[in-house]
Amino acid sequence: MSELVKNEAAQNMVTLTIDDHTMSVPEGTLVVDAARSIGLDIPVFCYHPKMEPVGMCRMCLVEIGTPMRDRTTSEPILEDDGSPKIQFFPNLMTGCTFRASEGMVVRGYTEKVTAARKEVLEFLLTSHPLDCPTCDKGGECPLQNLTMQFGDGESRFIYDEKMHSAKHVALGDLIFLDRERCIQCARCTRFQDEIVDDQVIGFSNRGRALEIVTFSDPGFDSYWSGNTTDICPVGALTTADFRFGARPWEMNASASICNHCAVGCNLTFNTRREVKSGGEKIIKRVMPRQNEAVNEIWICDKGRFAYHFTASDQRLNQPLIRKDGKLVPSSWELALDLVTSRFKNAGENLVTLAGGRLSNEDLFNLAELSAHLGGDALLYSDMAGGDLVSRLGVGEGTNFSDMGPETAILVVACNLEEEAPLWWLRIKQAAERGAKVIVANPRKTKLDRSAIHNLRYEYGQEAGLVTALLSAISPKQPKSPAFVNKLAKDKEVKAAAKALSEAENTVILFGSEGTSYAASAALAQACANLLIASGHIGRPNNGLIGVWDKGNAQGAWDMGLRPSEDLDAALKTSQAVYISAADPAGDSKQYASALKKADFVVVQELYMTATAELADVVLPAQAFTEREGTYTSGERRVQRFYPAVPSLPDLLPDFGITAEIAGRLGLELEKTAPASVMLQIAEVVPDYAELTYQKLAKVEKQFPLIGREDVYYGGTSYQNSQGLGVQLKPAAQNGDSPVLVITELPEVKLSGEELLAVPVTRLLDLGNTVTPSEVLVTRLAKPHVALHPQDAEKLGVEWGSKVKLILNGSTQTVLVEFDNSMPHGVVLVPRSLGIPIISPTPATIKVL
Amino acid sequence: MTALQDKHEKEIKHILAKYPTDEKRSAVMPLLYIAQRKAGYVTKQDMLEIAELLSISTTEVASIVGFYTLYHDKSGGKYRIQVCNDLPCALRGSGQFLEELCENLGVQVGETSSDGILSVEAVMCLAACDKAPMFQVQSHSDISYHENQTVESALQTIEKWRAEETDK
Repeated sequence: MSELVKNEAAQNMVTLTIDDHTMSVPEGTLVVDAARSIGLDIPVFCYHPKMEPVGMCRMCLVEIGTPMRDRTTSEPILEDDGSPKIQFFPNLMTGCTFRASEGMVVRGYTEKVTAARKEVLEFLLTSHPLDCPTCDKGGECPLQNLTMQFGDGESRFIYDEKMHSAKHVALGDLIFLDRERCIQCARCTRFQDEIVDDQVIGFSNRGRALEIVTFSDPGFDSYWSGNTTDICPVGALTTADFRFGARPWEMNASASICNHCAVGCNLTFNTRREVKSGGEKIIKRVMPRQNEAVNEIWICDKGRFAYHFTASDQRLNQPLIRKDGKLVPSSWELALDLVTSRFKNAGENLVTLAGGRLSNEDLFNLAELSAHLGGDALLYSDMAGGDLVSRLGVGEGTNFSDMGPETAILVVACNLEEEAPLWWLRIKQAAERGAKVIVANPRKTKLDRSAIHNLRYEYGQEAGLVTALLSAISPKQPKSPAFVNKLAKDKEVKAAAKALSEAENTVILFGSEGTSYAASAALAQACANLLIASGHIGRPNNGLIGVWDKGNAQGAWDMGLRPSEDLDAALKTSQAVYISAADPAGDSKQYASALKKADFVVVQELYMTATAELADVVLPAQAFTEREGTYTSGERRVQRFYPAVPSLPDLLPDFGITAEIAGRLGLELEKTAPASVMLQIAEVVPDYAELTYQKLAKVEKQFPLIGREDVYYGGTSYQNSQGLGVQLKPAAQNGDSPVLVITELPEVKLSGEELLAVPVTRLLDLGNTVTPSEVLVTRLAKPHVALHPQDAEKLGVEWGSKVKLILNGSTQTVLVEFDNSMPHGVVLVPRSLGIPIISPTPATIKVL
Repeated sequence: MTALQDKHEKEIKHILAKYPTDEKRSAVMPLLYIAQRKAGYVTKQDMLEIAELLSISTTEVASIVGFYTLYHDKSGGKYRIQVCNDLPCALRGSGQFLEELCENLGVQVGETSSDGILSVEAVMCLAACDKAPMFQVQSHSDISYHENQTVESALQTIEKWRAEETDK
């Protein structure tokens, strides 16, 4: 469909003529796509280039003719002038279901076609409310645009006989339906069914009574619901967040990158000046921006709705200094001087702890400052393997959209739809094209539906499972523990190993569900070994991807930051701690008490987090929406984001604050232009040597062609005009030839009555950057744990009941859910829901 | 949430056995008939249960109920009298027939009689244009056609059903 021009070489090309333009397209290309590929318009409503055609709306009717052949000789029949004689179909044909063939002639602007368009529009408008002046879609509405272009000024239908329906139907908490505006194109229901496999909205009844319904609980229960408002060709579907918020033409658009997960979806922030913000620009909505190698034209609901943190009134807006036990406002001068003198004293006993949501520029400056004093620069994360990804990561030119039968994809230790939704989507689609997807997890996840092999193991055995896959393809491995040998003999494991080793291309995505730092390191190494042994490195569509918990964790590894194997000890023994974009005290009581023991704590943050509460100095930073920078995705694509809204007065970007401190310590770092920081990064970090902000801003033509003028075709997703980013070459692609490293596999021991508490990720959690979005409040996960129903029965716990969960020295009351696919003896504890858990840890459950 | 299964275990098993295990969804139509037999319409609870049985979404089951005119998602009379008043039938007097029938029964189109025995609906083409006025009756699990009707003949048939129901 949409990939029409990409694979030209591989396919038979046919030549056809549309409105006197002659073009070559792969055989089987739909007529509407062929027209669009050279910028010609055949208007559509129901057709969407990312979905199968259905031919429902009849807007794309055109005249289609094919060359005539003599029935007895099969020879082409020629006109007098020698040109082939064309026979046109007696009726108009739908361009969205008709496929291009050799010599085809399409007429899109004859009288007959124009009349048909006029009639289709008149028909669609019979009961349309024509409330464009109050409709959110007005200004970017295909129905409005095409009516202006092809429609009649007047209707022959009687206005008073218009059918009226409900105008404010809440399909769920996030999406509203206006039944009067719906033209029943089924784009939304097909999107939910075909593309994201959540069939939670559907058609009920038929004819004029046809309407969209949902029976899911909660309503429209899908992480992808916002996309339906982009592809809705009318104003029938609107988001609870943006409806009645602004007119599309009043808003500015600025390019950005989502940093909620490691995918790095390209976004556009739509902003507008408002009275309620004192005449300042604020973000009105988040739209997807096309990047066919990253997010295509989709984003998840977290990316779309969890942006309100920028405008939160809880933002820190001035430096604070602890005086007589209390944090009180201070000037920047005073705060920075204090920080500088204490850092100077601490010297190599300075611990820098940074979160993976910071930009490469911020992380680089932090690492430089830390190196200048000889201290440790730590990444606040419990997942290992970023160094392996930089060596064995996916090759430059990797694109999930290119993967098909020749590719095998192994996903291990993560619930991909919750942790990196777009990767889930793109791997699901690769599976539909024939890619062999293998999912290894201790429990069921949504990606299992797309897998040819679902491998199960016990929590703690993830590295063992991958080692078993390695043993199955190359038996000469050093002695492995008994469970690995047993797994290696399993029929399913053997078959999966065969698929992985025999595939031309293999990609492995590893997550951190159920792993401690040591187990994570073992898992990453085992994955690397498997790729090395099977020769799947250093090429596009081959290599290792980390499913990181934060958007720029890979960037942090690339900038030289590393997680600490014993953060508790590192904090306790430090003389000064410099924390940025991390909230260890909020995550763990142990870290909180370690911080209380630390001599001097500086926290650079957006909010008054639990960690900031313990600080001696709090430095307020700009949000990423207020400044420029770059992030490196899990696929190691470096991408630029741009300022969308003005900064709160008197705030600096993270890299700027660090540079101010560094300057006072005699180290010159760039403090104003992130582009200049990138030049320094290019000098110091070899993989980034070729990068400049100009290169990152380069774009090329993408298919399908979408954008403001073509809103009828692809929806309101933004065209990419500010950069597709650059995918870095891993060392293996630059000639590095890595060897297998066999690590010892960690073991987990439990005693008696204890369960193993395993932190798991939920997409809509209670993270600091999520909760300020009020629209999401009802959708956010409540503090809960999941148990196997049999374990629950043993404990005497019912579904939905409240229990006491004791772990890491704290007790909490939580709700219980069941998951009958999970292993026994385990309690799943979602991260970032207020339950202090970082790594797998023993826990007990008591009935209330 | 296994009321339907508990009550019709054997029958459901028999139906499911007709379809490959990875195409269970095809059993949705016969299962909906079972569900509808009970109360003359498919309850939301039934839809939830059928969705779970077939590993499809409740919305998909509801869509199917919504699409087919012989499935109902609201309670009605034990006898659903469905009078066709499409154009050809209207030309043969079905409009007046429907109006007079309702008057005589004291029921509005789309409503159910106070004794709960019958409801009258106006429907689209039933493919018996040449025998109009006509109606179709959906009762228990049967469907029957009544063609070349007059108001009198229709009332006679209806009285018969009423009597049968009161005898029970």
